Amino acid sequence: MTITICIGSSCHLKGSREVIRNLEELVERNGLQNKVEMEGSFCLNQCVKGVCVKIEDQIYSVTPSTTEEFFKNEVLTRVK
Amino acid sequence: MLEKNYNLSNIKHEVLLEVAKLAKNNNLSDVDKLPYQMIEGPQSNFRCCIYKEREIISQRVRLAQGKSPSPTKENKNIVQVISSACEGCPIARYVVTDNCQKCMSKKCQQACKFDAISMTKDRAYIEASICKECGACAQACPYNAIADLMRPCKRSCPVDAISMDENNIVIINEERCINCGSCIKDCPFGAISDRSFMVDVIKLIQTGIPVYAEVAPAIEGQFGKGISIGALREGIKKLGFVDMYEAAIGADIVAVNEARELIRAKEDGHKMTTSCCPAFVNMIKKHFPTVIDCVSTTVSPMTVTARLIKSAHPDAVVVFIGPCIAKKGEVLESVTQDSADYALTFEELDVLFEAFEINLNTEERYLQQASIYGKQFASSGGVTKAVVQAIEEEGLNSEDYKVRQCNGADECKKALMILKSGKLPEDIIEGMACVGGCMNGPASRITGPVTMRNRNELLDQTDGRGIHENLNNYEKYNFSVHRK
Repeated sequence: MTITICIGSSCHLKGSREVIRNLEELVERNGLQNKVEMEGSFCLNQCVKGVCVKIEDQIYSVTPSTTEEFFKNEVLTRVK
Repeated sequence: MLEKNYNLSNIKHEVLLEVAKLAKNNNLSDVDKLPYQMIEGPQSNFRCCIYKEREIISQRVRLAQGKSPSPTKENKNIVQVISSACEGCPIARYVVTDNCQKCMSKKCQQACKFDAISMTKDRAYIEASICKECGACAQACPYNAIADLMRPCKRSCPVDAISMDENNIVIINEERCINCGSCIKDCPFGAISDRSFMVDVIKLIQTGIPVYAEVAPAIEGQFGKGISIGALREGIKKLGFVDMYEAAIGADIVAVNEARELIRAKEDGHKMTTSCCPAFVNMIKKHFPTVIDCVSTTVSPMTVTARLIKSAHPDAVVVFIGPCIAKKGEVLESVTQDSADYALTFEELDVLFEAFEINLNTEERYLQQASIYGKQFASSGGVTKAVVQAIEEEGLNSEDYKVRQCNGADECKKALMILKSGKLPEDIIEGMACVGGCMNGPASRITGPVTMRNRNELLDQTDGRGIHENLNNYEKYNFSVHRK
C-alpha cells in the first residue's frame, strides 16, 4: 500500500518531514518495508487539516505527535 | 495584458511571474483575478475568444501553484494536460495532399493492406475509419504526397503514454508517463505543462526557515554570457536562500561511487546503468522492470548534494533547481531518502529573479565547487566520462570497461531492450532522456548554440582539478550515498 504525504509549504511547517520520519520508523519497527510505500505529494488543498496524509483517496489529518496512533488505526489495520 | 504575438514560452513565463509576485506580496487570495487582468478583452489575442484564453490562463495559474489544472480531477503526475488549450489536432494520421497526381501506378493503393485507399475525382483518398496508420502508403508514394500528421504530443512521447479522449483532447496515461517533459516541449499549442513548487518555496523562504539551493550542472550558460556560478550564488542569496551549492559536487561523488560499483559489477559479471536521470530511471521502473536491479544503487547527484547540505546544516530545507521536469517527480518519490525537499526549474528561477527584481552581475568572481567532470554530467556522455575518469584516478585501466552512452529517450529504450534480452555487450549504460543531455532539458531557460557558447566560455575558466582532488574539500561531511 502507498501512504501519500503532502509536502506543500503549509504541511511542511506543520511537520510533514517529521511525520514522514516517524512513519518510516514505524514501518521499519513493524517490518513492513516491503508492504508499505511512502511518497510525497503537491499541496492536497486541505491546508487547515495539515499534515495531510492520504491512503486510498481518503485524507487524514496527522501531526508528528499523532503519527503513531494514525499508524495503528489506519496503516496496521489495512496491511494485516 | 498579454499581446497578440505572445508565444507559448511568454505565456508560461508571464503566468508564473504574476503568481510569483502575488506570493511574494502575500496576495495569493487575488489569484482568481489573474485571468481577467491578463486577458482584458474584449478582443481575443491568441485563441478564438477571450473566454478560452481566460480558461487557459486559469488552468496555468493552478499549475503554477502546484495544483491539478482542473479542480475536479486530482491527478498525480507532474506533467499535466491543460485541456482548455488542447486543439484536438486532427485524428486522421495519414492524409493525401495536393501533391497527389492521381498517377497510374496507384502505388499507395497497392501498398495498403487494409483497402483504406480509394480514388476520388482528382486524388487518392484515405478512409480514416479503415486506416491502421501503418504508413506503408506514405512510403510507397513516388510524389511524397501523403503527409504523416501524427499529433506532435503523441509523436514526441517515447513511451506511448499519450492517447485522445472522445473529443480528441489529449490524455496522459500516468501509469506509463515518465515525466520526461518531451510533450510539453513539442505541443505547438502549449496544452501540456508541469506543476510547480514555486509558491511553496517562496512561502517557506518568507517564514525565515533556512532554505538552501542546489543548482544542476546545466545551469552554466543558462542565464546569459558571463553569468557564472558566483553570480548565480549571489542572485539566489538575494532571493532569500541561505546559500547555494552546485549539484555537480554530488555528481563528483556519484562518479566515484558508480566507478566502484562498476568495478564490482564487472567482477561479478553484472551489467549496470546510471541512476542520475529520473526520466531514464522511470523508464526502467515502468517499462523495463526486469532490469531494475541493474540500476546503480548510488543515489542521484541531487540527492547526494541534498544529503551533503543537510549533514552540514541539519535544519536545511533543500531546493533543487534544474532544467528538468522529472526531478519534481523524483523529489516526491524520494521523501524517505533525505533528498532535496523541493525542485524548481530554470524557467521558474528566471521568474523568481524577475519577480524579486534581481539583476545578475557579470562582474561577480568565478566560483568553482566541483570538478569539470561533475559539471559535465549535464551533457550526453558526461556521466560515463566522469566514471571513467574516476576509474583512472583509482589507478585502474579504464579501457577494460565498455560504456554505452544513450543520447535521448529513444536510444535509452533501445539499449534497455538489449539489456533485457541479456545481449548487451557493454558494461554500463549511461541513460539520458533528453537528446544532448540536461543541457537541452525541457525546462531550460534557453537552449541551442548561444547557450553552448556561454557555457563553454564559463567552463574554460575552471581549474584542472580532478574528481578526488575536489572531493577532499568535502571529506569532513559524513553521509551515505546509497539508496536506503
